[in-house]
Amino acid sequence: DVVFTDPAAYKQSLAKVYAGLAIGGQSSGDGNSDISGIDGGFSQYIRMYFNLQELPTDEAVIGWNDGTIQTLHFQNWTSQSEFINAMFNRVYFQVSMANEFLRQTTDDLLATRGVTDAMKADIKQYRAEVRFLRALSYWHGLDMFGSIPLVPETNPIGTDAPGQPAGGKQDVFNYIESELLAVEPDLGKPKTMEYARVDQASAWMLLAKLYLNAETYIGAEKYTESLTYLNKIIASNAYTLDPVYGNLFLADNHKSPEIIFPVAFDGTYTKTYGGTTFLAHAAVGGDKMKPSDYGIDGGWAGLRVTANIVNLFAPADGRGNFYTDGQSKDIPSTPNTSFNQGYAHPKFQNVSSTGAPGSNTTFADTDFPMFRLGDVYLMYAEAVLRGGSGGDAGTALGYVNQLRVRAYGNTNGNLQASDLTLSFIIDERGRELSWECHRRTDLVRFGLLTVSDNSDPRAIWPWKGGESAAGKQTQAFRNVFPIPSAALTANTKLKQNDGY
Amino acid sequence: QSKVVTGKVTSAEDGASLPGVNILEKGTSNGTVTDSNGQYSISVTDNATLIFSFIGYKSQEVIVGSQSAVNLTLQVDVTSLSEVVVVGYGQQEKKDVTGVVATVDSKSFNKGAIVSPDMLMTGKVAGVQISPSDGQPGSGSSIRIRGGTSINASNEPLYVVDGIPVVSDGTAAGRNPLNFINTNDIETFTVLKDASAAAIYGSRAANGVILITTKRGKSGTPTLSYDGFVSVGTVAKKYDVFNADQFRSIVTYYAPQNLKYMGNPEAADVADRAYDTNWQNQIFQTAVGQSHNLSLSGGTDKTNYRISLGHLQQDGIIKTSYTKKTNIGVNFSQLALDDALKIDVNVKGAVTEDFYSADVIGAAISYDPSHPVYDAKSPFGGYYEYYDSIGGKRVPKVNSPNNPVSSLMQSQDVGSVLRSLGNLQLDYKVKVVPGLRFNVNLGYDVTRGQRKQFLPSTLKAENSPDTGKVVIQNPYKNSMLFEGYINYTRDLKSIKSKVDVTGGYSWQSFYAENHGYTATQLSTNIYGYNNPGVARKTIPFDPLSTTAIPSLGENRLISFFGRVNYAYDERFLLTVNLRRDGSTRFGPNNKWGTFPSAAVGWRIANENFMQNQNIFSDLKLRAGYGITGNQDIGNFRYLGTYTPSDPQANYQFGSAYYTTIRPSGYDTNLQWEQTASSNIGLDFGVLQGRLSGSIEVYQKNTDKLLFTRAVAPGANLTNTILTNIGKVQNKGIELTLDAVAISTTNLTWNVGFNAAYNTNKITQLDGNNDPDFPGYAAGDNISGGVGNKVEILRVGQPVNAFYVFEHKTGPDGKPVNDNLGAEDKTNMYVDQNNDGIINEKDLRPFHRPAPRVLMGLTSQLNYKNFDLSFTLRANLGNYVYNNVASNSTFQRAGDAFRPLNLITNSLRANYYTPQYFSDFYVENASFLRMDNLTLGYSVKQISKANIRVYATVQNAFVITKYSGLDPEVSVSGIDNNLYPRARTFVFGVHIGL
Repeated sequence: DVVFTDPAAYKQSLAKVYAGLAIGGQSSGDGNSDISGIDGGFSQYIRMYFNLQELPTDEAVIGWNDGTIQTLHFQNWTSQSEFINAMFNRVYFQVSMANEFLRQTTDDLLATRGVTDAMKADIKQYRAEVRFLRALSYWHGLDMFGSIPLVPETNPIGTDAPGQPAGGKQDVFNYIESELLAVEPDLGKPKTMEYARVDQASAWMLLAKLYLNAETYIGAEKYTESLTYLNKIIASNAYTLDPVYGNLFLADNHKSPEIIFPVAFDGTYTKTYGGTTFLAHAAVGGDKMKPSDYGIDGGWAGLRVTANIVNLFAPADGRGNFYTDGQSKDIPSTPNTSFNQGYAHPKFQNVSSTGAPGSNTTFADTDFPMFRLGDVYLMYAEAVLRGGSGGDAGTALGYVNQLRVRAYGNTNGNLQASDLTLSFIIDERGRELSWECHRRTDLVRFGLLTVSDNSDPRAIWPWKGGESAAGKQTQAFRNVFPIPSAALTANTKLKQNDGY
Repeated sequence: QSKVVTGKVTSAEDGASLPGVNILEKGTSNGTVTDSNGQYSISVTDNATLIFSFIGYKSQEVIVGSQSAVNLTLQVDVTSLSEVVVVGYGQQEKKDVTGVVATVDSKSFNKGAIVSPDMLMTGKVAGVQISPSDGQPGSGSSIRIRGGTSINASNEPLYVVDGIPVVSDGTAAGRNPLNFINTNDIETFTVLKDASAAAIYGSRAANGVILITTKRGKSGTPTLSYDGFVSVGTVAKKYDVFNADQFRSIVTYYAPQNLKYMGNPEAADVADRAYDTNWQNQIFQTAVGQSHNLSLSGGTDKTNYRISLGHLQQDGIIKTSYTKKTNIGVNFSQLALDDALKIDVNVKGAVTEDFYSADVIGAAISYDPSHPVYDAKSPFGGYYEYYDSIGGKRVPKVNSPNNPVSSLMQSQDVGSVLRSLGNLQLDYKVKVVPGLRFNVNLGYDVTRGQRKQFLPSTLKAENSPDTGKVVIQNPYKNSMLFEGYINYTRDLKSIKSKVDVTGGYSWQSFYAENHGYTATQLSTNIYGYNNPGVARKTIPFDPLSTTAIPSLGENRLISFFGRVNYAYDERFLLTVNLRRDGSTRFGPNNKWGTFPSAAVGWRIANENFMQNQNIFSDLKLRAGYGITGNQDIGNFRYLGTYTPSDPQANYQFGSAYYTTIRPSGYDTNLQWEQTASSNIGLDFGVLQGRLSGSIEVYQKNTDKLLFTRAVAPGANLTNTILTNIGKVQNKGIELTLDAVAISTTNLTWNVGFNAAYNTNKITQLDGNNDPDFPGYAAGDNISGGVGNKVEILRVGQPVNAFYVFEHKTGPDGKPVNDNLGAEDKTNMYVDQNNDGIINEKDLRPFHRPAPRVLMGLTSQLNYKNFDLSFTLRANLGNYVYNNVASNSTFQRAGDAFRPLNLITNSLRANYYTPQYFSDFYVENASFLRMDNLTLGYSVKQISKANIRVYATVQNAFVITKYSGLDPEVSVSGIDNNLYPRARTFVFGVHIGL
């Protein structure tokens, strides 16, 4: 409590809840890690989110031997995977930071501390942002782990934590929805906040995502609700497509007009081995790629894509940023054998739009676009195609073609109305949003992550299943990750997900 | 026929005459005793043999023959029953001791060039494992007394130096905090092993207590002595790696694309492009050392004093590393107030300096031998390094290995520590109440250190993006002690009883801090670490924001303690101890802990029915039980604290970067870890005490284990929390034997043997014993991958059992190979759960790092003026994970950045991809080591000077099946490029005047 005698502590505490997404600990390079049992940078939130959202899919393989990391792509992970455990712990670290912030900023406490009215108004907004961030992590938890415990901030520290709610995923869904609706009025109007702080558009986007995936989560169609909030974002006119697609992933992407909610990184002040530092370094390797071309001091020879993703791109599609020299498209040996198998995909880079390297060649300046307008357009089209009302196919086609024009530099890639199908959408999401941590969620929504009911060949990619370069289907229970065994042990009220 | 034999009996210890020595003609009842000058005269028959015996000394037999004068020097008997042993807050006669107390005195210390005090007693005490962390000069050790009791709190014993409990955890500025003690000043180590002996130290005694007593002056003429040696250390064993030609064929076979990186492509002459550098030869050196010690001691019946000066310098066997220390010690004691008041003053001070060589063993093994050491065109200090050409400039090739010689020779890293410890002890005997005395002890222990590191910009690793680095740290610690106790001793002859009651109070504070800064982007290298002001960037590090919470701040311990010793009829003994400790490390509900113990002893030898036997000269049965605690966890763990972020770990809002503050997790109910231990022991002496020893059986149950467990998701502010949960059990047997194998005038041979067996088991880890929960990954991260651990904490298993796959053996007797990275591991590993896939569910606990059996054998042989002694030591049942070998697979030749060399041992398994979790790398590291072998010659009495010269070989040999360099790899059980241990030859001289 002594800490809060300094009014600056409220914003510093707020900054910690945000920083929980950006850096693994309290010192440079993720030292003094927020979670223990795993290296701070290794387990950084966005890095874990990437590992769990991308490695199990056709979008990424990794060349390393760290613990059980290969089981992610092989889809043979278990509840003992330290990566799954780390993601789970990052989610609940965010929850506990948010809860502590809310406990420390109750009206009663603020009154006893003699906080000024102006400060109280700020804190009211902080509380809304913190509740948004907590809802965001709960949504990540719902998406990746299914039914997860909801911990009320009224629970004192160290008391028993609840197990999963009685109503399961439905309760988690309802809670996230109600929280977002509750904080919406207290959040800033779109684009009125300081950079990197959330505003109403972030809450709308999260609601839209929650509704778009409602069928996955609760077996109910909420495409109309999704469109409602997507329309609010579009109607705010606060965001426009970045004229240059690639600039969205460069060191000066804070200037991009397209990003709705970034996780901010900085090579000087926010030094992490996770986030975009990881994405920029791990994508570079081999003899031919020059790290200096990407604003980094060296490649980590980790991430590549499978041929499935490469094959999605027409040659004229400018989004197909693959490095092929010295690389083979196929991955005949296991992904950890050689970086040269599979094309490199240096999408995230630490150079600016003018080609200047970032402020530090080890740690990237590039921000991570958690939510951006391009995604809004594709979600809009998908929600319309899935029967949501509040949008129309013509508008959807227009939005999609805006993305196509940007990708091709001309109208050659434009679609006809008849081309706009759900099958097109999943492929277009692969092209537009590759490596932006959407793929696993998307494949689950399209029924392609594990098994495919209609034998869609897109449900097979190299090394899926872990047995061969050809890949094979896996069991449907892997559409969610297991609750980590450490959490089950620590809280016997928790139930393991089916199949694990 | 008879004749008169006369002579004088003196003590071997200090040459003083011994009055009251019994002299008996063997086989007769004819005898006499020496007078007050040690003189005697006895009339004996021809061919008589005289037996000289005196309490506290070894009996000796002398064949008189034709001599008419027999002058004799009696050797002190260290195993003697009347020996007084130091116990917590006082002394006790050994015969009255009921706890497990082992003493090692200076006569039986290990010989050689020993920097670290604890190495003096390695192998001497049953059940005490002393593992040096590595072979650096003066490196610290881990000590385990009867196995570790804790998992997350410390397992090190408490050290008490001349009555002052000292902080033995290190600082950033020195290798071993105990090095401040001059090894030449130590008189005895006393190890309190069981709870009944150690409980007087309460909450800090769960891992045993080591009392260190330093030498004092003795009344008599002043004695000046000099002890000195020179030592030469050599590398005992090197890794066998491939030479350049062999390595070239490996690269050709596995990774021909990497051939272009071999050799020195910069050399003008093609012939110069091929080198065959033995990198290990480039980093090792012959380690020279020297030590000089002067001491002056003397006194009167009222006063005595001892002053010592010492200087030691010891190079390491890796270039640049060394340790130096200069000690001064003063002990002064004075009787005053008509001998009622004894004043003792001790002051010890030392300056130690440690030069840390860069960590280059791994690089020396793996660096491509086809490269030269130097490269005239290199911008990296003239050393060959991998680089990229950018704009005509050489910039470091990122992720490529660094030239080990360059790292070694260009970096500077030196720590210096000034430590002083002293106390004033007043002991006042109340004359009107015989047996009553008051004792007050005031002590201090101050450590001030500085660690200075300088990495010039010409080092490849520092060349970009930050150019050069200076790191300065200034650790500081102090501890203040106030203790007082009252002791009352009474011999109640009427009821055949003796009582000895002590009650006291103790207050001790511990303060520690460490501040400093890191300076980068140096504009010049010329100032080394002396002028970080030339840096363009300086980052002060605030210890509050680092993980060093235990090293900042203060903690205090307030204690009340008491002890009752009761003896009835010299036969029945009872000891009861009680200590109540209050610690600032725990919250209001748990500040105080109570630590009781009780022990009983039965001196069977003094029973009537034992008087008519002559097998046992001593027989004593002991049993004890007690509770001790452990609080070694750092401060503030029960409180919510906030941790601010570093300037480089801030978060951006708008265009500003905000410091973040993180609330830390805590457990308000944190409390003492408690170890309940019971011990049954038997002391015996047979053959008139020529063979004596003891057998101990013990069990230690640790409860409320301080353990970092997983937190229920969202229940705290972190995912793991230090709390009291879990139980560990240690059980064992110890045997100690001391034998006077031969004792004649010219030849004496003493042999000491000890053996201990200990098993350790986790009996509970969490509140719930979920059978499906495999346990917590544990141990140090191995090298290879990030965060890979190969040990586990699991209920029913020993602490840190290895946790690995069972590797299948092929028809050729070798482990099944992976065939160049094919993923189907079912060929290689046993599918323990038969689910058709190999994953972490198929890992299984497999052996453990801690030895099951510890043995030590000490031999001292004296023949006339020659003496020969050695210490042999064995650990059995200890396993080591050979991380050097598990990292050395052929994939390294095809490393994406540059080819890396391998140890030739890689051919044993022929793996291409590393198999970090294979049990193939968990090797039996049982060993037998000759710690030291010494031959000495005493040139006695040259103009009153005692002179002895000696030669010692340390680490003379090791017999082991372990395939790495050295089977003793610190308690972690993971062998990863440790600084190797030297084989050292020492030549020394002792001169006493």
